[in-house]
Amino acid sequence: MTPGLSCRDLSVHADGRELVQAATLHVPAGRTLAVLGPNGAGKSTLLRALGLLGRHRTTGEVLLDGRPVTPTQMRAAVGAVLQRPILRRGTVVANVASGLRFRGVGRREADDRARPWLDALGIAHLAARDARTLSGGEAQRVSIARALAVGPRVLLLDEPFTGLDPTTRADLVADLRAALDHHAAAAVLVTHDRHEALALAHDTALLIRGRVRQHGPTRCVLDDPRDPETARLLGYTNLVPPGTSGRPHTLAARPEHCRLVPGATDPADVPEALLVVAGTLRRGVRLGRTTRLDVDTPAGPLTCLDPDEPPAPIPPTNSPVVVAVGRARPLRAD
Amino acid sequence: MDVLLDGLAEALRLLATGDEDTWAITALTLRVSLTATAVALLLGLPLGVGVALGRFPGRRVLLAGANTGMGLPPVVVGLFVTVLLWRSGPLGGLDLLYTPTAMIVAQAAIATPIVVALVAVAVQQVDPEFRIQMQGLGAGRLRSLLALLSEARLPLLAATMAAFGAVVSEVGAAQMVGGNLVGQTRVLTTAAVLATSRGQFALAIAFGLILLGIAFAVNLTLTLVQQRRTADR
Repeated sequence: MTPGLSCRDLSVHADGRELVQAATLHVPAGRTLAVLGPNGAGKSTLLRALGLLGRHRTTGEVLLDGRPVTPTQMRAAVGAVLQRPILRRGTVVANVASGLRFRGVGRREADDRARPWLDALGIAHLAARDARTLSGGEAQRVSIARALAVGPRVLLLDEPFTGLDPTTRADLVADLRAALDHHAAAAVLVTHDRHEALALAHDTALLIRGRVRQHGPTRCVLDDPRDPETARLLGYTNLVPPGTSGRPHTLAARPEHCRLVPGATDPADVPEALLVVAGTLRRGVRLGRTTRLDVDTPAGPLTCLDPDEPPAPIPPTNSPVVVAVGRARPLRAD
Repeated sequence: MDVLLDGLAEALRLLATGDEDTWAITALTLRVSLTATAVALLLGLPLGVGVALGRFPGRRVLLAGANTGMGLPPVVVGLFVTVLLWRSGPLGGLDLLYTPTAMIVAQAAIATPIVVALVAVAVQQVDPEFRIQMQGLGAGRLRSLLALLSEARLPLLAATMAAFGAVVSEVGAAQMVGGNLVGQTRVLTTAAVLATSRGQFALAIAFGLILLGIAFAVNLTLTLVQQRRTADR
């Protein structure tokens, strides 16, 4: 077994029902697994079960380097970043050093070992600041630096970018990516954002209603939804059933790959598209650089995101329109 | 007004000349109230933490009980302890009534609910995910609990101050279980009551001033500890 974090028949229960079940997952050392799922899918529960954290009843095994791990061994291996940065009273550097202090490192040495991580996460200038006076982004940086500073063999990241503004988020994603590249930890990133998974994770597992639906290299998983729920999760929100498309499987397409065909009211007018579907326009909304068009079709609602360059006129509501689907994936598990 | 001013002047003179009895009473007051506070902390801290973090039936009832206990009349506590320690009572064989130990027992009973209730609030104020986050950084169960208490240290010190304040200033229980025996169980509050009833206002005011001084000194020490820890880390 290659070094890293894995689980076998892991199952978490609360109040008599199963919250999460994962038969096998393996995160090799030095690689990152994204657990991608909608809200309430059990992502955080799975993450905590993998870190032997939390109070839910858990069955099955968590393994470190192929061997079942005890809570004590896991404590020595883990560094966790929770959704909200929960910092202790005291300075930023004391917070970043706190994981090392738990591991019995003396205060001075812990502070010394923490400092490079302050630099890596761009918070060296805040070292002496009271942790309670930080902004959300700064506090999350402290939280990430604190987890990395312990040199974890298991790094657990629970939606670490929640609630940050887009610029801070982009900077932090880049900083985290750079930090992970120099790290031999088996990292698990919980997120509901596929862009974060793509930026940070080698592998991705899709978790829906407590079950792992797909698991594999991130690029493959993100572009290969197998069923309507994973399609929705991955942004393939337009579904065209076989009855409409004439294909053996339901086709799933992203809104940005669907266009309203200008002037067309009959599918026969557009020969070059992969697929054309006729419907009526429910509404058209201009969203800055794109226009969102919601179309009702016999196969169900479709959404198109048209670029506004050049701005096209929006057909009247309830008028007949034709949607051309440029790229679609067949849902093979359907 | 003259009575008050004259009394104040006489009180200061008494304090300045260093009356031996007065110092003995002061020492006993400190011994009884500090010990009672320590006992209350010893019992109340684990109980308060348990009530705050535990998941067991009756938890809220226990908490409501502790909250009610914060307003426990010392006279009622004094009565119960007296009955318990009465010669024919269940603990009469210990022969503790009218001793400083009995006063400590009564004052600890007054202070414990205060500590339980305030510790529970202090612990519950900390983020509910705090211990999980600490465990996620390598802390074991005990270390994460200690980190939690350290996080709540300001309200915990406030709980200590409240407990000490309640017992050092109470008179009902001290009078009932101690008996205000001169040289044995006379503390500042019972001495002040006695002096007042005898019309010795200067003496009573002197006791009152010492009581205030003690309360201030103890709370000043705790406040300084509290604020110093905030300042460093």
